[in-house]
Amino acid sequence: MSQTAPAGAPTAGATALVELGLKACTAFGRDDLASRLGTARARLADPTFHVVVVGEFKKGKSSLVNALVGATVCAVDDDIATALPTYIRYGTETAANLLFGTESPEPRRQAIAFAEVRSHVTGTRPPGQPGDAPSGVEVLLPRSMLAPGLVVVDTPGLGGLGSRHAAASLAATSLADAVVFVTDASQEITATEYEFLKRARDMCPNVVCVVTKRDFYPEWRRIADLDGGHLNGLGNIPVMTVSSLLRARAVKDNDRELNEESGFGELVSFVTGSVTGGAVRGVIREAASEVEAVCAQLGRDFGLERAALADPEAARAVVADLSEAKRRAEELKESAAKWSTTLGDGVADLSADVDFDLRARIRQVLAEADSAIEETDPADTWPQMQPWLESRVSAELVTNYTMLRDRSVELSQTVGDHFRQAAGEVLAAVSVHDPTPRLEASQAAAKATAGLNLEKMTARKQAMVALKGSYGGILMFTLLGSMVGMSLMPIAVPIGLMMGRAGLKEERKRQLASRQAQAKNAVRKYCDEVSFVMAKDSRDTLRRIQRELRDHYGRRASELQRSTTQALAAANEAAKRTETERVTRLRDVEAEIKRLTTLEERAKALRAANAPVTG
Amino acid sequence: MSSALLQRAKGVVVAAVDVYRGTDDGRRLADVLQRMDEPLRVAIAGRVKSGKSTLLNALVGERLAPTDAGECTRVVTWYADGHTYSVTLRLRDGRSTPARFHRDGPSLEIDLGAVAVESIAKIDVTWPTRALRTATLIDTPGVGSMSEQTSARSWAFIAPEDEATPADAVLYLMKHLHATDLEFLRAFHDREVSQPNPVNSIGVLSRADEIGVGRLDAMTSARKVARRLAAEPKVRRVMQTVVPVAGLLAETAATLTEIEVKYLRQIAEHPAGEVDALLLTADRFLTRMPGLGLTELDRRDMLGRFGLFGIRLAVSLLRRRPATTATELARMMTGHSGLDDLLEILRTLFFERRDVLKARSALLAVDAVIRDNPVPGSATLATAVEEVIAGAHPFNEMRVLSSLRAGTVKGRPAALEELERVIGGGGSQLHQRLALSADAGPVAQREAVEETLLRWQKRGASALSDHSLSVAASVAVRSCEGMLEDLRSRS
Repeated sequence: MSQTAPAGAPTAGATALVELGLKACTAFGRDDLASRLGTARARLADPTFHVVVVGEFKKGKSSLVNALVGATVCAVDDDIATALPTYIRYGTETAANLLFGTESPEPRRQAIAFAEVRSHVTGTRPPGQPGDAPSGVEVLLPRSMLAPGLVVVDTPGLGGLGSRHAAASLAATSLADAVVFVTDASQEITATEYEFLKRARDMCPNVVCVVTKRDFYPEWRRIADLDGGHLNGLGNIPVMTVSSLLRARAVKDNDRELNEESGFGELVSFVTGSVTGGAVRGVIREAASEVEAVCAQLGRDFGLERAALADPEAARAVVADLSEAKRRAEELKESAAKWSTTLGDGVADLSADVDFDLRARIRQVLAEADSAIEETDPADTWPQMQPWLESRVSAELVTNYTMLRDRSVELSQTVGDHFRQAAGEVLAAVSVHDPTPRLEASQAAAKATAGLNLEKMTARKQAMVALKGSYGGILMFTLLGSMVGMSLMPIAVPIGLMMGRAGLKEERKRQLASRQAQAKNAVRKYCDEVSFVMAKDSRDTLRRIQRELRDHYGRRASELQRSTTQALAAANEAAKRTETERVTRLRDVEAEIKRLTTLEERAKALRAANAPVTG
Repeated sequence: MSSALLQRAKGVVVAAVDVYRGTDDGRRLADVLQRMDEPLRVAIAGRVKSGKSTLLNALVGERLAPTDAGECTRVVTWYADGHTYSVTLRLRDGRSTPARFHRDGPSLEIDLGAVAVESIAKIDVTWPTRALRTATLIDTPGVGSMSEQTSARSWAFIAPEDEATPADAVLYLMKHLHATDLEFLRAFHDREVSQPNPVNSIGVLSRADEIGVGRLDAMTSARKVARRLAAEPKVRRVMQTVVPVAGLLAETAATLTEIEVKYLRQIAEHPAGEVDALLLTADRFLTRMPGLGLTELDRRDMLGRFGLFGIRLAVSLLRRRPATTATELARMMTGHSGLDDLLEILRTLFFERRDVLKARSALLAVDAVIRDNPVPGSATLATAVEEVIAGAHPFNEMRVLSSLRAGTVKGRPAALEELERVIGGGGSQLHQRLALSADAGPVAQREAVEETLLRWQKRGASALSDHSLSVAASVAVRSCEGMLEDLRSRS
């Protein structure tokens, strides 16, 4: 569990607002709504957002990360490479942990000395079960930049952007709040880098391209311009140039001039402003939305009670309509409800589609591999075949995963739509009973829809949260690495030619056929294993998504049910009250409505104040 | 031994020319025959921007190949020794046409005239210069630029072409990539060059100064990286070794001018602290210390010629000994660039093996023709080729070397190391095969050979030795026998 960030001024206001809302919920006996706000408060206290740093081997990723966080966390050496992802977050003291497993939300942690970080990040896996191998390293630093909840992730550049490690990095970018793509000033971005950037862009809307080593290459300005030109077509990807070397020197010597020359100012602004600022604003917005939604619900219930109290004649109608609303709300909770069947069917369909898609893709790869093996001699091509196969399969896995991700989001939106439709009908049953003047009636209607819009915002998030759970980037890194390495029996280059001239040709042919068969077998084994693990993971992911969505909307339905039940009870009560009781009660209710309205307005203002900053 | 092999191979090629007389293949084979008497053909291959042309210039000692991104770098260009200076364009349709050229800029500028670049198959440059007498150099266009279509799904880049290729040996230039890098391995299968084999390929870790980001100890780092790469099984399978070279520095050292030395001296004269601050970044070098006496244009040229590493190195050399002459400076820079080491490796592994490599190329060419186009008489030819390939000792040595590199020979590491040495893996000279000092006397040499021969005879016969080792041992024994014959014929 990450350590709680020190009280940050930006979120204090939101926290206070949520506390007020909580008090109201408790006062009105709505512990279900109170727990909803409790979750919001927890998220405000401990937000987490990720910046993932990706790029080709030896382009300066680790140096950049070190310079950014102001500590030598990542191993930098001419001769070694990062093999494990490194997660750098805030901690009151410097500390380090090895991460194991892919369980969500928290992987197993094992404390290690800070000095050991380097050897773990660059070392080879110790022999033993694949499950024992660490999936990453976590480093905690007392840096104010990280305090608001920022996590900087250094990814392995090993194998280049065409390899399986790159696929893992790509999966990680889909879950990131921002991606920093690192290339250096020695040459323009290559076709491989461009392709990777394009896919990263699809996965995450917030991408910047940083050109490093501007101290060493004289042509850095020209390269940066060329890169900018190439990236023009990909949408808004700003290009920045830095020198990590100068930055490190500047920090050490406290030299402002050097710091200027390092060019790090722009990058730091991006991270603290756009990323951190943006993420914090997002968290505040969500909290404010929750408060608004809760207030709206409570307000509506009181509004109905007021209607019943104000006009005893209308009270009977209110009770009748509320009974109808209550019935509809109960239907909403049942498994036969449209949103629920949509969810169940949708997940079943999606699961089948994702599985089929994966199989079809793997089959395609196998066909390619087979035909190539038939055309060549594995004695010559086997060492190239393994990385080719890994990279080819990874690319397909990422595409398959993207499909799962996109369609899950779609499904969650559809389910949300169906829920909102039905919830709307619940509310429609009673919307007429508001004896307040026209303006307020329309306000009430607006309130109701405001509540629904806010739902839409979080639907996508729900799916993403569920995805984050299982894929967490961590899985992909370890999954492909733990595959049983493909191996052929050692290829005997025919030293047996010494045997004699006769039978030479036949011997060659036989050996070739045997090698080809072996190669095909090894390829098949590898693909089978990958499919097996991948299919299971997809199923687990979808199950998790289903659970989360079911629980989320189930809870909303319960809240709605409770609201209508309580409103119905209050309306019944109202009918039974004496004249004086009614007047007193009406005064109280009006007061509550006013308080709730004020709170709601404040929440709305807070949400507007933290709107996403464009451009 | 190797000249005898070359003669035998020539015999086969002559026979092949006869069998295919009057056809296109016949003409190709006649070319092959002629090639066998010419200097070794060394191709320089690698991804785009790996420094091929720069290295070629350093090897030749002159700035010939254009190192910018102009049109001509997209065409295969051959640099060969000759009687006169000339440039000929060989077109794809078979015609040839001379081209105008001049050389007053930093490189050879070839005027293509009305000829379109796409229609040129290759450019032949003859340039009378000593370096080209030992080898004809082939500069290949790089692959992998932004504009090139790369399809990750195609096997084309992996499947090796079996057809005969024009190069006898290959220098593979690679930038600092990890051995698992797909790009890295992809580079070995350029269609233009011969199938990679540890016998005829050397890896060059080019732009070595960038590895240490221009630090003065960059080359030490680079050597470490090169050693590690050379030990990777995937690399060992396809190349003999990996050598780091700071190509730009090597090229400039070979073509150093007096003015450049003068500028370097001017810089070195200033106090060390100031100069270090000046050389901290490329931008600073271009803009600071106006009192240096160099204009910004001069400085830009200097950076282009030396790189930041080169300037730092040269300045530190001059500061250590201000009396260094231009010639001495050039020699020291060449040493630091790693070019000397590369030339030594080239000599040992390529030039001394010239005959064997030539014979191999020729027989591969004949083999390819026979397979693509069998005609009456080619069956006998095929047998003849096989006879030479199977029987020629140098080829057996090459095969054992390949097997050693592929990891299919089983034995103790120390024994395998010795085996690789004895069969000529580290050089074909006697003292190299036996790990003796170069000035060892004939008596010491004979003793060493006899002792080694006995040892490998025993290993071959021992029941404990793996079969693969026994087979290899018999090759080692034959190598020793050959060395004894040589010694006897000399005395």
